[in-house]
Amino acid sequence: MKKIICCLLLLCLLPAAALANDTLPYDCYNYDYWNNILYTPAPYVPDGSLGGAGLMWEGSPLGAFRSPQDLCVSPDGKIYLADTGNNRIIVIDGGLKTVLQVIDHFEPDGAVQTFASPTGVAVSQNRQLYVADSQNHRIVVLELDGTFVKYVQNPQSEVLDEGYIFTPLKVSVDYADRVYCVAQNMFQGIMVFTAEGDFTGFFGTISVKISLWEKFWRKFSTKEERSKQQLFIPTEFTGIDVDEEGFVYASNKDTDGMQAVRRLNPKGQDVIRKGLKENLGGDLVFGTVGNYSGPSQIVDVVYRDHGIYSLLDARRGRVFTYDHEGNLLYIFGGIGTQEGTFRTPAAIEQLGSRLLVLDAQQGNVNIFSETEYGRLINQAVSLRYNGDEALAVPLWSEVLRLDENNELANAGIGKAYLSAGDNEKAMTYLRRGMNRAYYSVAFKRWRNEALRGNISWFLTTLIVLIALTVVIRRVVLPRRAARRKERGHAA
Amino acid sequence: MKKGIFSGEKWKYLFYTVSHPNDGFYWIRHQDRGSVSIAVLLVILYGVCFSMNRIYASFVVNDIEPRTVNSIAELAGVAILFLVLCVGNWSVTCLMDGEGRFKDIVIAIGYSMLPVIVATTAATLISQVVAENEEAFYTILIGIGTAYTVIMMLIGIMQIHNYTLGKTLITLFLTVIAVLIIIFLALLVINFITQVYSFLRSIYIELIFRI
Repeated sequence: MKKIICCLLLLCLLPAAALANDTLPYDCYNYDYWNNILYTPAPYVPDGSLGGAGLMWEGSPLGAFRSPQDLCVSPDGKIYLADTGNNRIIVIDGGLKTVLQVIDHFEPDGAVQTFASPTGVAVSQNRQLYVADSQNHRIVVLELDGTFVKYVQNPQSEVLDEGYIFTPLKVSVDYADRVYCVAQNMFQGIMVFTAEGDFTGFFGTISVKISLWEKFWRKFSTKEERSKQQLFIPTEFTGIDVDEEGFVYASNKDTDGMQAVRRLNPKGQDVIRKGLKENLGGDLVFGTVGNYSGPSQIVDVVYRDHGIYSLLDARRGRVFTYDHEGNLLYIFGGIGTQEGTFRTPAAIEQLGSRLLVLDAQQGNVNIFSETEYGRLINQAVSLRYNGDEALAVPLWSEVLRLDENNELANAGIGKAYLSAGDNEKAMTYLRRGMNRAYYSVAFKRWRNEALRGNISWFLTTLIVLIALTVVIRRVVLPRRAARRKERGHAA
Repeated sequence: MKKGIFSGEKWKYLFYTVSHPNDGFYWIRHQDRGSVSIAVLLVILYGVCFSMNRIYASFVVNDIEPRTVNSIAELAGVAILFLVLCVGNWSVTCLMDGEGRFKDIVIAIGYSMLPVIVATTAATLISQVVAENEEAFYTILIGIGTAYTVIMMLIGIMQIHNYTLGKTLITLFLTVIAVLIIIFLALLVINFITQVYSFLRSIYIELIFRI
């Protein structure tokens, strides 16, 4: 008997253990329609980490990474890591085991040149390596084997201040080899260079927002007072990525926690789509005191495929993932010292189905692998992105099995029922998914059907009722009155 | 003779007041045609309708999280607001030559609730059949109900105190201030009581530990 009970208990435990979040060093959650935090199954789980100390290069240990600031996955799946403190670029294979190459110098014209604090690294589709060599104030373009190609430096333009020193921090390249660069203290936007290395202008400038209240006070302050006031400066960009269509995803600091990422079209206009909550700023609910408080501080963005992108928050160490419609898909990650948590997250990249997060302070790359939950959501969203919403239904119902609160899944299933013509089921699911627009469509159809189905007996009852009233008024009541009158006379 | 809510006469007069506010409120003051119990019942009814609207209005028009609706607290809130409003108005009009008694103020404000009760209930029902882009029916209904209630309240206060419109508006403004003062004092008193309570409690705990 005992054995049977033990077996049963084990059976109960097994599937739960596979999904349990209690062994994870971080919380996985999402926000519902009313901004309540709902804990979800883990979309990604830690899958080891990669530090410089464990790697070998040419027979000797590579040595720990020192304050690495950026990493990049090339189109052929190699990882390029900017080991900023050691002034070198390290190339690691896609299996995350062996070092393929260490680039710490290059030879432009015979003489050896080195990097000084390379903070950004990017690989173009045309297989060239771009390094933001920050303290040398230049972007170095190399072939993948380390052969020098050209510099991008000394931007010349009327819009730049006299004596402006170009200090590139992050760099990215689109399919036409245009170079997008986030530079230090450059509030005017992302700097754009042509393939030839000429500065063409700023890109995606974020306009300053001044509230009415601030305007009001500025009206009443003197020039001297105003000079001591805080300057109204546009926020800075923090990280960039380019998607396959050449649109630039750029993350930025945002003190309001409203929009920390932009999708810039070739003209530099923000064309990102926002969800129902009009928020792309990471955490929707946060404390106001203590060092764990305040809006998320997004330091990097990675464009994944099918319109999905992830933001990396340095404040609470979270990774926020959105779809192309601006819906928050899932949140995971945290600050800490355990494996899978970060101290100072600096950059995020995607490697196949895995996510890599670079931790500058710990000097390692945290690897996260997709769980079933994460995979289902990613696939379902990708199918919707491609317009195959009907195919996504089985995936969404699987998601609901793992997380019955998932609003996107409910809405997805509801939409499928709507197009299949099952209005009542569509209404139930769309309501759970808090999708008013589609619910309304389903409701209208349901209402019309109900009217059409019931109009005959409704009208019949109405006519019968009218007839009855007429009979009572014309026949019954006058007779009664007459009788009463008679009785009155008799009395 | 039946009294209060059991008197058919008084109920009939309630509907007369709604359709003829000027006359209605005048005779409520001068011939005691109104009923305090009906007025209180209407206020309770409004509290119930308000909560029901928040819970049962259809998904299309309802943006309220069901988990935040606490009917008891809302009922108490409506009742307290009603009481504070009556007391505030009474204390202001006493000083400003108002002819109305406290009873009349209670009746005036209570009776004025009827339109908004009807409108809220009707809107809750109508919301069950509206879809997106048709919410206007719902909003307009509630808007009309609220406007009628406000107008009735204004006329009621004006008639029972025998004021001009201008003076009514001034007293209403002062009433709002009086209400704020009452709330402030109430909070102050509650705060003091809590402090006294915690003081006595700590003495008690201290004694228990020592003896």
